[in-house]
Amino acid sequence: MSESTGSPDLSALADLDRLVHEPARLAVMALLYVVESADFTFLMNQTGLTWGNLSAHMSKLEEAGYLKVEKSFKGRRPNTALRLTPLGREAFQEYARRMKQVFQDFPT
Amino acid sequence: MSSQINLKEIERKAFRSTYQDGLWDLYLGLIVVCMFIFVYRPAEGHSPTNIVLALLGVLLARSLFWAGKKFITLPRMGQVRFRAMRKQKEKTTLAIILGVVVFIQVGMVGLTTLSWLNHEVAAKINGFLKAGDLMLLVVAAIGSLMVGVSMILIAYFSDFPRGYYIAVMMWLAVFLMIYLNQPVYPIIIGGLIILPGLVLFVRFLKEYPLPREEASHE
Repeated sequence: MSESTGSPDLSALADLDRLVHEPARLAVMALLYVVESADFTFLMNQTGLTWGNLSAHMSKLEEAGYLKVEKSFKGRRPNTALRLTPLGREAFQEYARRMKQVFQDFPT
Repeated sequence: MSSQINLKEIERKAFRSTYQDGLWDLYLGLIVVCMFIFVYRPAEGHSPTNIVLALLGVLLARSLFWAGKKFITLPRMGQVRFRAMRKQKEKTTLAIILGVVVFIQVGMVGLTTLSWLNHEVAAKINGFLKAGDLMLLVVAAIGSLMVGVSMILIAYFSDFPRGYYIAVMMWLAVFLMIYLNQPVYPIIIGGLIILPGLVLFVRFLKEYPLPREEASHE
């Protein structure tokens, strides 16, 4: 933090979680952050991502432990409910905190 | 950066998207139409059949709503579970609606008790109501108040903006139905609630086609 010069601390940008920073994943995480869980179709509709795209991002988030995938059956149809893990919530909060800090430090 | 505000907006947008299918409008509109069977008083007297028919009508409306959500909306739109805050809001709505209904009923009981205990008051109230033939007007006002206020509260706590329009329509339907005893009013007003619901439903079907099977992320 360089309060003396009044310029923003750009090093905070370098420390951003790149997994969260990617726009599509950020949209998915923001949506899952505000709900308890959502299924694949709902996420596709809300984010405007294609199935393939969303699936790829989901896999990355799941590998990082940010996302929990719960598979079940609704009648005879398979249903995949997705929810953020505590780690994912923490990562999203941390990302938001860092971004907020960077933009707050920016001179207007 | 107003991240908190944006997140709230994201949640609200996601929540309101569940009303896009117009099924609530169709359901509530059908209930208003069913009301005419319940409240209409034919010249030969009120029949219990009216109550049974009205209840069957409401049951049918509820079944159509449930089936529409399960077999049309959810496969197209997907499922979402909102956080505890929303569930808490639902409980608050129910508690307030019950509170309003109980408050109005307590008021009625209070007035009745007062008229029993004090014959002068009873005579005055009776005289006032009979003089201007106001009995029906009072019943219509109380009935519409209960329905209208309840619907406004539901619209507010359920974050359902179209609910305010529906509340006004319901208010009007109940009032006219009781006061004028003409079944045509709830049918017309119910139609005015159903019509936008139908438009939304058709638009929903166009905007949200059934996703491919792979979208279930098997």
